[in-house]
Amino acid sequence: TAAAPRSWRLFGAMCLLRLPRITQPLEKEEEEMAALMGQIELEKSHYSDHEIRKLEEEELLRRRKESAYDDEVPGKTVIMAQDLEDKWEQKFLRFKAAPRITDADKSNNRTSLNRKLDRNLMLLVKQKIGNQELWLLPQVEWQPGETLRSTAERAMATFLGDHIEAKVLGNAPYGIYKYKFPRAIRTEDNMGAKVFFFKAFLQSSDLSQAELKEDHLWVTKDELGDYLKPEYLKKVNRFLLD
Amino acid sequence: SMASQSASLHALCPISFLSSWLRQAVPSRGSHWQSSVLVFRASLPMRAQPKKKKKVDVKREQAQKDRMKKKIKKLEKTAPELIPIEDFITPMKYSDSNRVRSLPDLSPEEAERRVLLMKKWCLFKQKQDNAEKKAIQSMVEAQQEALKELRLESEELYQAAIRRDEGLFPFEREGPSYTPPLPGYDPPEGKCVDITKVYTQ
Repeated sequence: TAAAPRSWRLFGAMCLLRLPRITQPLEKEEEEMAALMGQIELEKSHYSDHEIRKLEEEELLRRRKESAYDDEVPGKTVIMAQDLEDKWEQKFLRFKAAPRITDADKSNNRTSLNRKLDRNLMLLVKQKIGNQELWLLPQVEWQPGETLRSTAERAMATFLGDHIEAKVLGNAPYGIYKYKFPRAIRTEDNMGAKVFFFKAFLQSSDLSQAELKEDHLWVTKDELGDYLKPEYLKKVNRFLLD
Repeated sequence: SMASQSASLHALCPISFLSSWLRQAVPSRGSHWQSSVLVFRASLPMRAQPKKKKKVDVKREQAQKDRMKKKIKKLEKTAPELIPIEDFITPMKYSDSNRVRSLPDLSPEEAERRVLLMKKWCLFKQKQDNAEKKAIQSMVEAQQEALKELRLESEELYQAAIRRDEGLFPFEREGPSYTPPLPGYDPPEGKCVDITKVYTQ
């Protein structure tokens, strides 16, 4: 079929999300509620085997102290429940977990993926549109013969290389940003552009060999405002959950 | 009378001949005893023990099979036993009286604090839920707008966009943990043996 001349140029853009790796800290109400739930659970519970053993041993120790002699055969070492608990506590203290706030957080290195492990991070790249250098979600122009989803995947591959594992969430676009070209270059056939946004989850955790361009950033939803233009930001914020 | 006599003589003759032949064929206890026994077994038509064995075997096996089938039918007739839910059955040792916890009673201030906290929690969760619903609503609207604009552009691209993505589900992902994974952590060696009781009906 003969293609009618398009008055709008089509672009496919990919919003690549790095999902959170650690849980978000609890709000004040959530903490209070968690404590209350724990307390109620404790009140409704019965003693466990370990607790019964502990109570019995405490009773035994008390009786031994009150009566002046040992009725237990000396030389026979008995492991008390309290000793077990101390041993477990020591073992726990010896374990050092990885820090929740990483070095990248402290230095605010926005090109690193190790930052803000409890939030979603999305990729922003610097692209030249017209005669301006803008921070945008990676986008490329649509070419006839491909679907918009493959355009978005191509955009991702252009900026991050082919060996990126990402799960694209469906064939349909999540949002659209429509803009008219400035009057100087606007014609009947070339009124403006429509940018269709697609969403994908980043699966591969290591991108060391992937980055091709230096001017890329991984930012959270709140930090998008530092980089994106207001109209563009408004359209992007509509399909981001945080 | 002569013919009949000769006939009787002839009749007698083969019997004697048969007896002498039989005598020869009886296995002789000598060095070649084994080979002759085999020859004996193979060559003579056997009308003795082995064939009887076959009949009895077949009958016995048939009878066994029928008994087994009857048993299976009886078992199948009774309703299948319900699989017990382990979580709902409290073991007897936990209903001992020495197990009951002894804690101080709840003071009225504490009860008051709890009630107020529950109400605050209710409000908090309601606000959270409303915010989530609004966010989802906004996402759906944005998607509908995008699809509308796409349709205005090209029907073909629109049809490609609303097609179902077969590779999307089932979608599996590990949830977030409290701390990030330790780089270079060497987990201790061990084997995990699953001892859950599996019931079959």
